[in-house]
Amino acid sequence: MSEHKRIDRRIFFRKMAVGAGAAITLPYIIPSTALGKDGTLAPSDRIVMGVIGSGSQGTGDMYEFLAKTEVQMVAACDLDQKRRDATKAIIDAKYGNTDARMYEDYREFLAKEKVDAVILALPDQWHGIIAIACANAKLDIYGEKPLARTIWEGQKIVEAVEKNNRIWQTGSWQRSEEHFRRGCELVINGRIGNVTFVEVGLPDGNPAKGNYPIQPVPEGLNWDMWLGPAPAAPYRGVCHWDWRWILDYSGGQLTDWAGHHIDIAHWGLGLERTGPVEIEGVGVYPREGIFDVPVEYSIHGTYANGIKMHYANARQVPHGMGVCWYGDKGWIHVDRGNRLFASDPKILEEKIGDNETRLYVSTDHFQNFLDCVRSRKETITPCQVAHRSISAALLGEIAMLTGRKIKWNPDTQEIINDPVASRLLRRPFRAPWKLEGN
Amino acid sequence: MKNIYIKLLIPLALLGATLSVTSCKQSPESQAPKKALIITGQNNHTWEGSTPVLKKILENSGLFSVDIAQSPAAKTDMSGYKPVFGNYNLIVLDYNGDAWPAETQKAFEDYVSDGGGVVVYHAADNAFRGWKEYNKITGLGGWGNRNEADGPFIHWKDGAFVRDTTTPGIGGYHGAQKAFQVTARDTVHPIMKGLPAVWMHAQDELYSQLRGPAENMTILATSWSDSAKGGSNRNEPVLMTINYGKGRIFHTVLGHAMGDSAYPAMECVGFIFTLQRGAEWAATGQVTLPVPDDFPHFNIESKWPLFRPLTFDEILANLTNYKTGDTRCNLQDLTNYIRKNYDGGEKYAKIEAGLLKFLKGQGSADAKNYIIRELSIFGSDKALPVLKKLQKNEETKEMARLAIERITTQYTN
Repeated sequence: MSEHKRIDRRIFFRKMAVGAGAAITLPYIIPSTALGKDGTLAPSDRIVMGVIGSGSQGTGDMYEFLAKTEVQMVAACDLDQKRRDATKAIIDAKYGNTDARMYEDYREFLAKEKVDAVILALPDQWHGIIAIACANAKLDIYGEKPLARTIWEGQKIVEAVEKNNRIWQTGSWQRSEEHFRRGCELVINGRIGNVTFVEVGLPDGNPAKGNYPIQPVPEGLNWDMWLGPAPAAPYRGVCHWDWRWILDYSGGQLTDWAGHHIDIAHWGLGLERTGPVEIEGVGVYPREGIFDVPVEYSIHGTYANGIKMHYANARQVPHGMGVCWYGDKGWIHVDRGNRLFASDPKILEEKIGDNETRLYVSTDHFQNFLDCVRSRKETITPCQVAHRSISAALLGEIAMLTGRKIKWNPDTQEIINDPVASRLLRRPFRAPWKLEGN
Repeated sequence: MKNIYIKLLIPLALLGATLSVTSCKQSPESQAPKKALIITGQNNHTWEGSTPVLKKILENSGLFSVDIAQSPAAKTDMSGYKPVFGNYNLIVLDYNGDAWPAETQKAFEDYVSDGGGVVVYHAADNAFRGWKEYNKITGLGGWGNRNEADGPFIHWKDGAFVRDTTTPGIGGYHGAQKAFQVTARDTVHPIMKGLPAVWMHAQDELYSQLRGPAENMTILATSWSDSAKGGSNRNEPVLMTINYGKGRIFHTVLGHAMGDSAYPAMECVGFIFTLQRGAEWAATGQVTLPVPDDFPHFNIESKWPLFRPLTFDEILANLTNYKTGDTRCNLQDLTNYIRKNYDGGEKYAKIEAGLLKFLKGQGSADAKNYIIRELSIFGSDKALPVLKKLQKNEETKEMARLAIERITTQYTN
């Protein structure tokens, strides 16, 4: 029944938006009858949300949505009791009640909660399974990057989202910052001429050393569930946050940041729905400690149109962090902190005409998701795009792990003539976990 | 890390594995090895320790055969010390002691100016303050009461070579020993080509405030001498080339060796490899040695305790008692070895046979699990029977399952 009601409400809003002739980036005109008495949307018309994985990133995302009056946050799921307690306290404080419902197991969350949309902020080994389960449960998804731990899982997420007609926004929030969009628009409209090379600086690897002895699992943490499809491993105190330094759960800074700067590099070149055709990479892996993701990485990708992309940890690229496109008339460098530079500052004053390529405009990454949940239009970073930014990084990881030059067909998404490298396009899951439908 | 390597040597000896230092990189048959001579016998450092190591390092390059010209002991008659420099393509100076006979000095000057190759190693640049031509050959030196009369202070600042001709003072000192970064200042020179821009050198003493004529000198690399460790707060030159007449000189200030324990500075792959390349360049004017996979990086030290990469058998033997949390050096050595030698054919078949033999043996579960993980990427069907057995063992079943699944699953989109 709730499912039915939810769809009705969406149809109502869609009709309303069309009727008002509203562009998706403009505020909706809400009839006064739909307003709650404090000027917010009546509870029955709000987008009902939950969060799965309410750690540091999940909580950060949740705060953004809690600040939106059109959102009603009702439930959260985390396999750590401490985090459930903290999350419940935040949501309840926001609404002044004790209604927020907490779950340890996402399957129970999905069975019991009738939410419209969900935030996913999980360690990478869980992305594929839970994203597909949520898409099949007909939820719209605000999913953290990277899309998935392997290319195969990314493909399956895209399939599930498409099959179920879900709205997906990736946490690649740089796209909703004006200077990133401006840099991309200047590049894509030829303001630095014909671009043949782009350089992407991602964070330097974590050189952390030290031993982490096997130790008791902290009370309230479901360690076996945390591992999920990853290989069984004893608890060594490496769990929240630090999972990103172990290959079973993450590819390190490379895969952590692909959804930011590789995504932006692709955006400025119109390459966001394809991938490199040839990839070579050199990684330097730790020689001490238990962490095993590369501390230095340098990957060269070549795209079908001949553009070359060098993506590496920041100290191996001349401009450091961010994206630097090189054209035959100059370069443009963009990075966080409103940093937008060019070989000639006059390039940055150039106007982009109405007849030129205009990129998708979003000034609020979270609002963009909510708007699209209502309009059913594509977000600024749909999963198809996120899949391509992480694929470039994952192909680099495969090149580094095998020491081989990888040839990739971005259309069929297959590694050409290399069965060994192809093995790393997916990873075996620990029983009983599998992707729904596979 | 040092302790672990010392521990490793014992099981190797028990296994009867050869620890001889025969070269692992054979030079092409058409090229006879170049002849090198190490000048040694007196030093304020332990030349009895450093000279054999230098000999191994040169021989392990596959490029040199090495003789040693040991001088008489200090304060004894030096008049008979007359190495025949001209018989050699390379002279390596590991000497800081009494003056040579005038005839030997002249012979050395002629050898170099006529096109000979020289490596100046560590305290050799402390030697012979008063011998003007020697100081032109080394370019820079320290101690022995050197001061402004011996040449400017040389360091590196704001991207450029600085010759400080105005500041007076003693030339040559060093702060406390520690690991420190080496920064390339010439990335085009054949000795430096392909090396990381910055790499971590193992514990060493960093010579600071050297002085000298520094004529025809190229600074290849510098290191920051940190005042917190008693240093000069300057970028000090650590690798240099000098031209003297037609001669080519490679000068490394690195590689401190004192006492009879291990010498971490000399085990550093960065020290070893730049010395090998520097020696080749000095002897031939060219560099052919490719950068090793385990060259140190920005903040990662890397050592060759045997002054060469380990063989496949040695790597496996070292893994026998590996426990998660131990140094990953041996794991990385194994992975690098497999990656480098994987050909999907005969060469890999031998590697896989070695890995499978290890998996059937008495190695630790953590070591086996690491090897099984490698097999999950590179393994062939031949690995399956062993992996299936390992699946029955509680400690290895998880990785074995993962490897079997990877090997037997054909990836399809």
